[in-house]
Amino acid sequence: MKPPPFEYRAPDSLGEALDLMGEHGWDAKPLAGGQSLVPAMNFRLAAPAILVDLQRIDGLAGIRETDGGLAIGAMTTQREAERSDRVAGLAPLLHEAMPFVAHPQIRNRGTVGGSVAHADPAAELPAVLLALGASFRAASRDEPGGRWIDAADFFQGLFATALSPEELLVEVAVPAPAARSGAAFDEFSRRHGDYALAGVAAVVELDEAGRCADARATLLSVADGPFVAEAVPATLAGEEPTGEALADAAAAVAAEIDPPSDIHASAEYRRHLAEVLVRRTLGRAAGRARGDVAP
Amino acid sequence: MRIEGEFTFDGPREEVWELLHDPDVLARALPGTETLERVGENVYAGEMRVGVGPFTAGSYDVEVRLEEQVPPERYTMIVDGRGSLGFARGKAEVELEEEGSNRTRMRYASDLQVGGKVAGVGQRLLDSVGRGMTKQGLEALNEELRARLEGGPGSGEG
Amino acid sequence: MTAEGNGPVGRAALRNEDAGLLTGSAAFVDDVHLPDMLEVAFVRSDFAHARVGGVDLSAAREQPGVVAAFAAADLGDYWAPGPLLVQPPPIEGLEFHARTQVPLVRDKVRHAGEPVAAIVAESRYAAEDAADRVRVDYDPLDAVVDLEAALSDGAPLVHEDLGSNLAARAVQERGDWEAARERADLVIGRRFRYDRGAAAAIENRGIVASWDPERGELEVWDTTQAPIPIRNGLAGMLGLSQSKVRVVAPFIGGGFGPKIMMFYPEEVVVPWISMRLGRPVKWIEDRRENFHATTQEREQIHDAEIALTREGEILGVRDTFLHDTGAYDPYGLTVPINSQCTLLGGYDVPAYRSEFRVVFTNKPIVTPVRGAGRQHGVFVMERLLDLAARELRIGPVEIRRRNYLPPDAFPHDNNIVYQDFAPLVYDSGNYAPALERAVEAIGYLDFVERERRGSEDGGPRRGIGIVSYVEGTGIGPYEGARVRIEPGGRVRLVTGVGTQGQGHFTSFAQIVAEALGVGPEEVEVTTGDTREFDWGTGTFASRATVVAGSACHLAATEVAGKAVDLAAEALDVDPEEMELAGGVARVRSDPSRSIGLGELAVRANPLRGAVKPGEKPGLEAAAYFGPDRGATASGVHACVVEVDPETAAVEILRYLVVHDCGRIINPRIVEGQIQGGVAMGIGNAFYEKLHWDGSGQLRNASFMDYLLPTATDVPAVESDHIETPSPLNPLGTKGVGEAGAIPVAAAFAQAVEDALDLPNLEILEAPLSPHRLWELILDATEREEGG
Repeated sequence: MKPPPFEYRAPDSLGEALDLMGEHGWDAKPLAGGQSLVPAMNFRLAAPAILVDLQRIDGLAGIRETDGGLAIGAMTTQREAERSDRVAGLAPLLHEAMPFVAHPQIRNRGTVGGSVAHADPAAELPAVLLALGASFRAASRDEPGGRWIDAADFFQGLFATALSPEELLVEVAVPAPAARSGAAFDEFSRRHGDYALAGVAAVVELDEAGRCADARATLLSVADGPFVAEAVPATLAGEEPTGEALADAAAAVAAEIDPPSDIHASAEYRRHLAEVLVRRTLGRAAGRARGDVAP
Repeated sequence: MRIEGEFTFDGPREEVWELLHDPDVLARALPGTETLERVGENVYAGEMRVGVGPFTAGSYDVEVRLEEQVPPERYTMIVDGRGSLGFARGKAEVELEEEGSNRTRMRYASDLQVGGKVAGVGQRLLDSVGRGMTKQGLEALNEELRARLEGGPGSGEG
Repeated sequence: MTAEGNGPVGRAALRNEDAGLLTGSAAFVDDVHLPDMLEVAFVRSDFAHARVGGVDLSAAREQPGVVAAFAAADLGDYWAPGPLLVQPPPIEGLEFHARTQVPLVRDKVRHAGEPVAAIVAESRYAAEDAADRVRVDYDPLDAVVDLEAALSDGAPLVHEDLGSNLAARAVQERGDWEAARERADLVIGRRFRYDRGAAAAIENRGIVASWDPERGELEVWDTTQAPIPIRNGLAGMLGLSQSKVRVVAPFIGGGFGPKIMMFYPEEVVVPWISMRLGRPVKWIEDRRENFHATTQEREQIHDAEIALTREGEILGVRDTFLHDTGAYDPYGLTVPINSQCTLLGGYDVPAYRSEFRVVFTNKPIVTPVRGAGRQHGVFVMERLLDLAARELRIGPVEIRRRNYLPPDAFPHDNNIVYQDFAPLVYDSGNYAPALERAVEAIGYLDFVERERRGSEDGGPRRGIGIVSYVEGTGIGPYEGARVRIEPGGRVRLVTGVGTQGQGHFTSFAQIVAEALGVGPEEVEVTTGDTREFDWGTGTFASRATVVAGSACHLAATEVAGKAVDLAAEALDVDPEEMELAGGVARVRSDPSRSIGLGELAVRANPLRGAVKPGEKPGLEAAAYFGPDRGATASGVHACVVEVDPETAAVEILRYLVVHDCGRIINPRIVEGQIQGGVAMGIGNAFYEKLHWDGSGQLRNASFMDYLLPTATDVPAVESDHIETPSPLNPLGTKGVGEAGAIPVAAAFAQAVEDALDLPNLEILEAPLSPHRLWELILDATEREEGG
């Protein structure tokens, strides 16, 4: 279990890194925390000719408040995001989901941007950031300041994103929660820290009458990428998010998805788990929006 | 790994049949195909590089054999691919049915054995990868079909 | 002879070895770095079953850093199948076909991962790069994966010359099953499945071999549980005298059974390569290799029936089972015999008929893994009792109570033959008190009356399980030990068994310290180095403390006798008046009259004068111990689980073990063994399953998908002990290494059934998974609604 030969570059500046990516494109692979890429290389299931290590570049990590919410540097470790008071305050859904991301040892090394750019269908961060309506800044040699990509356009299937081979993800912007809104995350995995068999990030926004002004759920591990359930707003808009309405929404999601099978869960079981988790997370999100479930 | 499903081509059945037997078209349309040549009666050989995102499932020497052919209705495709990361072997049964005069419905059911390094660690993704590649390949073939049909009368006839 | 009552045996001493292990100074095989050392990567078959036409190493040999590459043909006369390690026991009518593993595949691959070639290079990186360039001409064959299909007509044959995939068949019988069945008020029959898992020691296998052509000596560092038999075997294969081969089993990160398997292909090939190239050679197994190349266990299918009276008294049991031995059967019938024998448990079973068939499949070899077949027997019997209890409306505790062998039943002859070829005779036991203590400690009655179940509306539900087992431990043939008091007063103990984390450096030290009246920290222990000790077999079958520990005791007792005699002579008192304590020999009635052990050691090795005829110099003795048969340990496991009936998630809230391993040498070590064993058992019950596809491919060959339970899945195990000493060894002790792992799946199944309380839900398989449990819940619910 040793990787095939590769060239290792560790640029000191973003400009240098962008030059390397611009020059080598598909042959180069950025190395952030290395928690997915390095094992894949050791298994010889990934064989980039050049690794561009981003660890030495200043300014890519950190969490700050912006006008509309949070800006999270792509190289911010998952552990830092997990422990950040700013994240807890301004993105409680992200805060709730962080402990589900693998294990503490992995979160110590793994980065927010790495997880987003990797776009594993079982990853928590893509689903959560999609549910939150986040956007991503991608920089390149030609456009060092970067361009912004909405989460809705960013994820394009199995390990596929809107990033071009020359681009680096540099920042994630997360809007602050709306008034009278609540969110919840839950997933089902064999052991804590495993790839989830199904997971849901849910957001509910209520109007003054306590009906759903907006409700959405994104799922992980049920499709080839983070999956936005159309059925949730379709079923819940204008409804009071309680008992039967939530069960109807969950059943509609179960009918909407076409999950894959693997040794841990058949498509049927995944569908069932998704239904249970959608119902539970939407219920909890609605409770939080009403203020009667602890954040 | 079992992959089955249906796909509708925007063209008549004979055209689809032709398309599915043209190694140049297949080489262009099937994801990861680097080369594919006819090496004998109903036997094709070539090289495929299979990968998804940052992952590569390696390079495979592939042999494809068509059997039990009933033109233009059905055939069986026997696939044997081998590379340093393992192997993929199996067969796919393909049925073509006319759907009106200008559309063709394909039913496919394949049983693929995937072995070696990919098999041992890739199980979580194999189903999605298999389905994704099938969809991508069929859509690309349909594009080829449309292009061929738009290419004017005669280009795909015969 | 020592001061009584407050000696080291029985104390929860801290482990002598932990300082080195915890600070990283303890040396493992991969820590061996020798000048000019080369590394090996093996080319392994991707196919589970295929004919091998040819192996083309030319491209690999041209790779940078590659020194040599070998295929089967290159081994010449050295190529030979491995030895049959365990002969089949003397059971009348037994059929057995030995087919053992080969060093490198010559003509046919029989399981995925079987080694086909070895690449030797300056680094493992270079070796792996080159291994990718080896071209093997495989002609794939259909694979045999399923046990039943293996025996069906027309099945592909793993070993064509046998004409079938049947490796063995044996019937053992006591009493008259047919008559018991006839007389019974209730007969319950079910099919039980136990699936395959990996032992998954955290340290994989590894071997370093270094041939010194000038001295004509071979040194080998090997992660083996049996260094002495490895030394003996390698010497024979390589044509060297045993004294020219040194095998060291240094610290090893877990054995669990597969490291008692001997003459793995790598173990045979790596020393040969070192001799051939005249350079040290290292091979360290990686995790992927471990999943394919290290032995595994547990796949069996049982069709079993139990016959009972309406009071729940067992009249008889019949069991017919299939056992998967994988592609070869070098370990004989140890595992299925253990299943067959352990099924009887602590119960009075007047009639028993058990037949097994062992089948070859295209999967890795099966040899004992912690529990070694006992799990299956216990699972079948305990589940049958639970089903009977349900049917007869007797509680699970009560039905066990009614069937235990009484305390005056020992020794109890089960009239069948055990894995050590001796009759299965329980030397000692007292089962009911352990059950009652477990009932009390887990709060069984309270739970049943008050806590049980909880939510009725789809929320979490709780259940309780309680099961028991009996385990043959500490079998022969023998082990030895040598004890010496050094002139400085410290004690040196050497034994031949290898150690893989069991705490031998502490428990053996305690045994010796007890006899010599010193602190255990004064005893330096060496294990697993054939240069230090020549005789022995290995660490397996929960036997090290029982057998090697007894040898330590005997050797230390002899040394103590010498020390006392010498001191008595010097102080001019009767040896009967002497005792050893605090590192000195002293007069019991006047402790101020004493001589230090170090000084006695000096006196025992005089520079002038004469050693008397018949006496040996030095305070040293070697002793050997071989029990007539195994010591019978036993215990009761109880657990409380919480099940989410919607998702089928199960959490183990409490786990309790009441164990009888005879006299306890060190309770801390016993509790550690139980905690670790239960963790492994929980893996077997709910997490660890090897998934094979129909072509013999392992689909979860990594810890990403092969689910070892972790700290988040395993509760802190509560344990309690009952000490019923074994009469079969001088310490009165019994083995404990496997105890924690054995009955967990049975306890878990009972508790989950109890929690869900569905009339049609029966758990007849291990391991379970949330997915499978969800299916069982759906099925049981539908059947209930359907009728």
